[in-house]
Amino acid sequence: MSSVVVVGEVDGNEVKDVSQQVAAVAAGMGDVVGIVMGKNIAEAAMKLSTSKIIIAEDDTLENYDPVRFSSIVTQVVEQTNATRVLMGATTMGKDLGPRLAAELNWGYLGDCLEAGDEGFVRPNYAGKVLAKSNPTNPVVVSIRNNAYPAGESWSGTVENFSGNIPDSNLTTASIEKIGAGTVELTEANIVVSGGRGLESPENYEEHIRPLANALGAAAGASRAIVDAGWVPHSHQVGQTGKTVTPDLYLAIGISGAIQHLGGMSGSKFIVAINKDAEAPIFKVADYGIIGDLFEIVPVLKSKLDN
Amino acid sequence: MNIVVLVKMVPDTESRLEIVDGKVNESGFKYMVNPYDEFAVEQAVQFKEASGGKVTLVSLFSNDTSIDTDLRKMMAIGADEAIVLRQDGYRGDRPSANAKTISDAISEMNADLVIGGVQGIDYYQGATGPMIAHMLGIPHVSGVTNLEMNGEKFTAKRQIEGGLQVIECSGPVLITCQKDMTKVRFPALKDIMMSKRKPFENREVSLNEGNDVNTDECSLPPARGGGVIIDGESAEEKVDKLIEKLKTEAKVL
Ligand SMILES: Cc1cc2nc3c(=O)[nH]c(=O)nc-3n(C[C@H](O)[C@H](O)[C@H](O)COP(=O)(O)OP(=O)(O)OC[C@H]3O[C@@H](n4cnc5c(N)ncnc54)[C@H](O)[C@@H]3O)c2cc1C
Ligand SMILES: Nc1ncnc2c1ncn2[C@@H]1O[C@H](COP(=O)(O)O)[C@@H](O)[C@H]1O
Repeated sequence: MSSVVVVGEVDGNEVKDVSQQVAAVAAGMGDVVGIVMGKNIAEAAMKLSTSKIIIAEDDTLENYDPVRFSSIVTQVVEQTNATRVLMGATTMGKDLGPRLAAELNWGYLGDCLEAGDEGFVRPNYAGKVLAKSNPTNPVVVSIRNNAYPAGESWSGTVENFSGNIPDSNLTTASIEKIGAGTVELTEANIVVSGGRGLESPENYEEHIRPLANALGAAAGASRAIVDAGWVPHSHQVGQTGKTVTPDLYLAIGISGAIQHLGGMSGSKFIVAINKDAEAPIFKVADYGIIGDLFEIVPVLKSKLDN
Repeated sequence: MNIVVLVKMVPDTESRLEIVDGKVNESGFKYMVNPYDEFAVEQAVQFKEASGGKVTLVSLFSNDTSIDTDLRKMMAIGADEAIVLRQDGYRGDRPSANAKTISDAISEMNADLVIGGVQGIDYYQGATGPMIAHMLGIPHVSGVTNLEMNGEKFTAKRQIEGGLQVIECSGPVLITCQKDMTKVRFPALKDIMMSKRKPFENREVSLNEGNDVNTDECSLPPARGGGVIIDGESAEEKVDKLIEKLKTEAKVL
């Protein structure tokens, strides 16, 4: 069997859920070697569900740096004779994947919805078309969150990375925490999004955020209200915003324009609350409530609080 | 400062896409500038206006000249010249081969800054930028929402899970722009007129071998059947039914 390298990411004391999902996918493809890079990450890294784990720990790896990380993974690939590298389609994975593919002279498949022995499926045209491929040559692949169940944590053999870490002239000056305590859109199991039907930014704060908090969800938005300046672009779901694939997506006061659907129609379940029975969002919603959001949402919130 | 802006021409795909024999029917496609690349053009022009230099647009595309007007619009924003790499059989879904062709062309240009979009809205790979950076042997920062230049130094902010990563570096560096990096201006009529006199070079390039993965088959995503509309006499009744369904059918609560 050929070997597969999984690039794992840690968050605090845990391996990111998406990395465990990727590890589970990789397990079906060959011998799996995990590589985790960072500073003070050894303990968390050992939880990556791969049979062998290589840990690259260094002060210079505290923050993701494409030059250093790509070089380290390249060295791991050479040591293990791997023919595939898999990672989560996180902000790191989507940045590292293509650079690594160039460094290895391999193919690259970004943001895959499906990955496995039968091939890979990735979205084209904002998810309006699915493209399937089954590469025989080596590839670097990034896989979207929530595409697969996570692998169980287990302890494999652990090794320290023994190669060299190159210099880089990128320095991370700081990480500005924004929205501390809130759930990241692309990682959330539940997303509550609001649109122009909310009428004002105050109503977004009054109705969407508390409902999101009650559900442990991330708060999202349509482009209409991002363009209007009610919420930052980081909230935008859709073709020119983020693609989300949660278990549950609530669209509140959102019409369901094709560009919005492109970012959320991969969700497992969709709920739409809209006063217009003809709104296109109902064509994709599993459960629709036709009605005034200002009547429905407060009731929903109070019932969920109980 | 010498700035190269990477401009990808992408199909304007407002409408529904048609699949014929496992392939997207591209015959009716009209092309436009990839929206993210407009931010790159605007940012490059702002840097030039602040501290001088030259802004060159580089685009790899087919021999189809219908895109020229759209590229001229980018020059009206303030870019100084355009180099269009004309390739017979060009395709937008070959980031590895395309990055090679583009990096060969820009390696001689001594750019202090190479700037493009975070991803093409055609194939959503977001791959070409980081690949070019590697081929040029320079670092890159992708998905940048804010970029500042102080003398030789750049400060880039990129959104990561839970925060903004603030990265400092000296040039040359490759940056890819996320939406909202800056506001793209509407060029004045006189700038549009002037842009017609700016240098616009068409350069033939041959096809490159890359490591790209071929797509075997395209399909439309399974249509999501509209589900049920939950009715009820009151908001309360509807909400109760919804919560019940989310708990028992969907099992997401
Ligand atoms: C190139 C391009 C890219 C785009 N990218 C994106 C993108 O990434 N994401 C995105 O979202 N959009 C995107 N758009 C914009 C998209 O086309 C729509 O304009 C946008 O999604 C509409 O936002 P909305 O649903 O909030 O507003 P509207 O379309 O105005 O819908 C508001 C909805 O609220 C309902 N409503 C009003 N009052 C109430 C009430 N009291 N109770 C219940 N319902 C109510 C209305 O019935 C209506 O359906 C893009 C457009 C273009 C051209
Ligand atoms: N053919 C091309 N010509 C010029 N720039 C390109 C080309 N393809 C990609 N790019 C640049 O790379 C970015 C990402 O494209 P992609 O990797 O195709 O998603 C684009 O926004 C452009 O800035």
